Parts: sequence; C-alpha cells; structure tokens
Amino acid sequence: MARAKIKRGSTSVDMTPMCDVAFLLLTFFILAAQFKPSEAVEVNPPSSVSNKVAPEKDFLNVTISKDNKVYLMMDPKIKGAVLDELGKERNMSFSAQDKKNFENSDFIGVPFSQLKQFIALKPEQVKGMELPGIPVDSTNNELKAWISAAINAQMGEQLNFLIKGDDAVKYPTFKAVIDAFKANDQYKYNLVTNSKAVPEGSELYKKNMMEHNAEKK
Amino acid sequence: MAEMEVKQSSKKGPGVKKGKKLSTRVDLTPMVDLGFLLITFFIFTTTVSQPTAMNLNMPKDTKDPNLDMKVKNSGSLTLMLGKGNVIYYYYGDDPTKMQTTGYKAVRQIILDKKKSTPAADLFIIIKPDKDATYKNAVDILDEMDINDIGKYAMVDPTPDEYSLIQKTEQAGGVK
Repeated sequence: MARAKIKRGSTSVDMTPMCDVAFLLLTFFILAAQFKPSEAVEVNPPSSVSNKVAPEKDFLNVTISKDNKVYLMMDPKIKGAVLDELGKERNMSFSAQDKKNFENSDFIGVPFSQLKQFIALKPEQVKGMELPGIPVDSTNNELKAWISAAINAQMGEQLNFLIKGDDAVKYPTFKAVIDAFKANDQYKYNLVTNSKAVPEGSELYKKNMMEHNAEKK
Repeated sequence: MAEMEVKQSSKKGPGVKKGKKLSTRVDLTPMVDLGFLLITFFIFTTTVSQPTAMNLNMPKDTKDPNLDMKVKNSGSLTLMLGKGNVIYYYYGDDPTKMQTTGYKAVRQIILDKKKSTPAADLFIIIKPDKDATYKNAVDILDEMDINDIGKYAMVDPTPDEYSLIQKTEQAGGVK
C-alpha cells in the first residue's frame, strides 16, 4: 500500500513577531529608566554596607551639595501643611498662588527672604542657577524653622529624616544640619548612601552568615 | 514585514534574461537575541541602583556633666578624623600619644582593640575635626557596623586635640 505522503513543513520559524516584542519591551524599559525623577541637586553620596532601603514616604530630605550648600526636599503630600505651619511660626503670609507654586517646586534652596520669588520659578529656570542654599549657621539657622514646621505639620505622625550629602561635604556643614535637627529634639536620622557589599571575613559578614544559617535550620 | 513578495513577471519578451530569484527573508534570530540581551541588561541595572539608608542615632546634648557617660580609659579608643583622609588615634585619655593611620588600615586597629578588650568596656570615640569630610564620617560609622562595635559616639575634638592635629599636619605637610 502506498504510504500517505507527509507534507514536509519548514523548520524555520518566523522571528518577526518575537523581534517586535523584544524591541517593544526594550523601548519601554529605556523610556521607563529615564522617567525616574531627575535629581534637583546633583549629589554623589558615599557608600555604606547598610542594606536598608531609604524610606520614600513621609520624608524630609536635607541634601548637602558638594559646595556645602543645604537644600530641602519633602514628601509632596505634606508640602501644603508645612507651608501653612511655616507661615504661622514665622509670621509670613502666603497667597493661594504661593502655595500652588510651593507644591509644584522640586526643592527649596534659598533663605526665607527669597522664598516667594524662588518658588515662582519653573524647574527649567532653576536648573543651572547659582543658589544660596538654606542658611544653617548658628546665628541664622533657617533649617531649624523648616524642620520645626514639618514636625508640627505632621502632628505627631512619624516623619523620616533623610540626610543626603556629597562625598566632598565638609564635616562642619553636616554638623550644622545635625544641630538643626537636635534643636528640634530629633535624634534619629537616615543617611542616604549607595550600597556596598559587606567585606568578606569581617565581623558583620560572619554575623550575617550566622543569622543566615540559623534561618535555614 | 521582513518578507516581501517578489513577483517575477515571466514574460518580458525575448532576449530578456530571467533575474535570479533571491530570497528576501532575513534571519531575525540574532536581532531577537540582541533585543533580549539589552532588555535583561536594563532590568538588572534599574533594580540595583536603589539608594540605601544608614541609621544614625545621636545622643541628646546634656549640659550636666554628671549625666555624661563614663568611659573606662582601658577600653576606649579615640579616632580623630583629620584633613586629607588621615585618621589620628590614641588609646585611653592621652592625646599626645596619638598615632597616624588611614581608612584602610583602621579596620585592623579596631579589630585588635576589640579582641584585647572586654566587650563591656569597649568604647570608640569618633572625633571628626573641621577639615574632615562627610564621606570620612560615613566611612568610619560604616566601619563600626562592619566590625560590629556596639558602643561608639561621635563628638567634636577638644581644642587641645585639634591644635595637636594641626601641628602634626603642619609637620607632615598635609594640605
């Protein structure tokens, strides 16, 4: 009997759809990577072995740039309340437009005297501008007032204090920031750092290994 | 998309040679490979670069000397952070006996001190001076974590200690 002829199918698969998918995903990831909020102030933080992720909610971020200037950023959620509180404490009045500007601004990098003009600027205008930073000297410590306003605006809710400094920041500036926090009775901070591997064979490494082994058992 | 139908008109008149039929199919496998390779690369790089936070707890400033923590001389190691990534260290309470080291070698000094001292007495005092950088302070705090030191404090150097550091720096020509 004659065997039925089996049609010989081609073994080459059409790669076009797969290629499409691959490049679609690639485009997506490239774009998504760029959409990460750009740093308002460029800072290159030191690295530490800490593996705790920096808190992203209810934060007050004090950034120290490499020319020892202090900038303040905060959770957009608390901005409105902080400005109200600041107005009350420092006897300043802010219009509805000021408030809107403040909520749209990325960060604060000027003394109170220039605050209104500064927040009226658009982020594109701020870029590349020479900013004076927030004064932190012992005679005129405005950071203290900002922190106090933020604490009172939070009304007892937990607030995470982040300090992000550049490698080149001089210690006295860092100390001035710490002093501003201390003046408000705040003693717990999170220093933002890049992560780094724990050196092999060190005490912490052994401790982590022991904990790891204990978990396994 | 990569393939296009090519219709060959068979009748082109006499004397016109038939063009050789070439396949327009392109093998897309290498392109797909490259695409996925890049995707993998981007996924890995985006998740790794998350910033971490280091906890720092500072003590309350007290004016009352009676409330100051007492530190045993035998168990204390003072690290003074100076200009140009140099550490000056001394044991006990005699700053004149200070020695010089760097950020790489300081780990061994801390470990040796830890081994030779009972755990309850060990206390490391960190004194960053005016010329130290923030990186220096973070590095040394990190070193406390790495070496699992339970008790340490960060304070300012006394004027005597600072002038001693400055003298050493001048003598050593540290800028």
